[in-house]
Amino acid sequence: MEYDLLIRGGRVADGSGLPSHTADVGVKDGKIAGVGRLSGSASRTIDAAGLVVSPGFIDHHTHMDAQILWDPYGTSEPQHGITSIVMGNCGLALAPVSDGGEDALVKSFVRVEAIPRFALEKGVTWGWHSYGEYLDSLEGRLGINAGGLVGHIAVRQDVMGEESVERTATAGEVQTMKGLVRGAMEAGALGFSTNRNERHMREDGKPVASRLADNDELYALCDVLGEMNSGIIETILGRNKMEHFDIYHDLASRTQRPIIWQSVHHRWAEPTLWQEQLDAVSRIFRDGYRAYGLSQTVPLVRHFNLRNAQLFDEFPTWKNIMFLPVEARLQAFADPATRAKLREDLATKRLTNFHRRWDIVQVEKVAKEENKRYEGKSVAEVAAMRNQDPVDAFLDLSLDEDLLTTFQNANTGGDPQAMGEILRSPYVLVGTSDAGAHVMYGADFGYGTTLLGLWVRERGIMTLEEAVHKLTFHVASVYGLEGRGLIRPGYAADLTLFDPETVRAHEPEWAEDYPAGTKRLIQRSDGIHYTIVNGGVIYEDGRLSGDLPGQVLRGAGYAPSRAAAA
Amino acid sequence: MDAEIDSEESVGVTYIPVARADELEPGQRKAVELNGRALVVTRLENDYFAFSRYCPHESADLMNGPILAGKVRCDNHGYCFDLNSGECVLPKGADPLTVLPVEERGEDLCIRIEW
Repeated sequence: MEYDLLIRGGRVADGSGLPSHTADVGVKDGKIAGVGRLSGSASRTIDAAGLVVSPGFIDHHTHMDAQILWDPYGTSEPQHGITSIVMGNCGLALAPVSDGGEDALVKSFVRVEAIPRFALEKGVTWGWHSYGEYLDSLEGRLGINAGGLVGHIAVRQDVMGEESVERTATAGEVQTMKGLVRGAMEAGALGFSTNRNERHMREDGKPVASRLADNDELYALCDVLGEMNSGIIETILGRNKMEHFDIYHDLASRTQRPIIWQSVHHRWAEPTLWQEQLDAVSRIFRDGYRAYGLSQTVPLVRHFNLRNAQLFDEFPTWKNIMFLPVEARLQAFADPATRAKLREDLATKRLTNFHRRWDIVQVEKVAKEENKRYEGKSVAEVAAMRNQDPVDAFLDLSLDEDLLTTFQNANTGGDPQAMGEILRSPYVLVGTSDAGAHVMYGADFGYGTTLLGLWVRERGIMTLEEAVHKLTFHVASVYGLEGRGLIRPGYAADLTLFDPETVRAHEPEWAEDYPAGTKRLIQRSDGIHYTIVNGGVIYEDGRLSGDLPGQVLRGAGYAPSRAAAA
Repeated sequence: MDAEIDSEESVGVTYIPVARADELEPGQRKAVELNGRALVVTRLENDYFAFSRYCPHESADLMNGPILAGKVRCDNHGYCFDLNSGECVLPKGADPLTVLPVEERGEDLCIRIEW
């Protein structure tokens, strides 16, 4: 057979961002063997008419370090067309580790990433020491491709033990840490990650170890990547501050490695911050260095009515009224003097999460037939239709419906113009799935299917080809994943076949598939028909195949003989 | 649950009973539902506090979160909230916890709602 797999007649969006075109894609020995009009025989043929054939999506921001040990597919990644993941973000990794140091790493994962301790204790088998041994333990056990960053927290813990969460390091300790980072890079790590987030603590309330590192230590460890000309430097420095861009500039200029920083989002409460961030980072690129911001595609939409809203808890008068019994609440909302207080409350100059913009709060569903005309309108539009002030319109409509009118609001990611500029920016990496973390609080495996469904199909903020590029070759290029992210002969046959008319992410749902039946949230999708890893179909119309064609992704610094000697 | 409203011009006050005054020993907590919202009522020495049962960060249950020096700590990520103000004191500046004042009124322990 000329091909192991022949995908016929799909619309190929090849990851470059160039216009898509109809073509066949032939796969042989896990690689793309041909693109175009192909006539050779094949062991299996897939009819892709009506589907887009794209490179598999690369989820670069995961905390799958543990889950991938018991779940070779990292579900729900394949359900969203993801064929490769990067683990070890935010300074957290499961290696290097010495005997007896394992629990210190667990403490950080439990608290920072909200992975249940019980699942970690049951699911993580340990047995490795170096980062290379951890990566080696995954060989032959992967359904998707997985690479990792060596985490500062693990490195520091391994060298300093419990003192890693109490003090700065000595020059000697920094030298030892540099050796561990070099060893990890030579074993194939894709980069180094660190964490200075003031909110990130261990399970015992102590700061995660990397927060105790001074700039000398941080810069010395990052210098290793510069010396090796390999890998990315992933950072989380905490609350967004413009002075962080000085650190990104320093790190990028001294190492000439790509810096990844968190994060750039559109928030109605700070509607120009994203622009300031992109302006700041453009100066770094203009100087010839790279510092990519992470962003997210999933708007945080809340649905509420005035029987259940918590949206207003940051405004005292609103909050207190929302705790009244419904009858008393109806009276209070109808009272003109109370309304004056409610207006005054909303006029506060404090920075609040709720943006206080009635053109953004929408009527989602009305309770009475005669109010149907308001559905889908913003409260500001309803106010104009009723010739009222927006607060009065909001309250009067709710009162008319016994507080059962359903509204929806998004504090973040709701402005298509801003989202378009953020997500299209060449300085922005799309996707902060955090897959494998916060497993009982959310599931954003579907950042890519949301990009394709919501932002491309429904809102048209970028072309489908641009979106595919952002999910594939853009990431592969930044992370140095050679031979992946494009549909070109010789490239790995990591492919996603999706229907552009239906692709979308579902709301998360509960599953009990973590070790010992621990509950967590998963996420399904529509429109992803095939997910193919190194030529092997792992997901087909809702079913996982059970095959394990995934590979460990190793970076450009991979030097197995040196890593083994170390 | 009965509510009594005393409107004075633009201000209303209501007291909603959530426990008997002698029901809580120092350190003891009671989960209550108040008009659809889950709250925890607790007694620290002779002072009473009511706070949202779920952490504003990732909705972890605060029913058993340790309370020390007038602050409740979320067992999930370690966020600490002042029980008087709701302010997040660790890490500073994070979203506040919803808190409500509690008063003894006769034989009842009541949440005071004023607007």
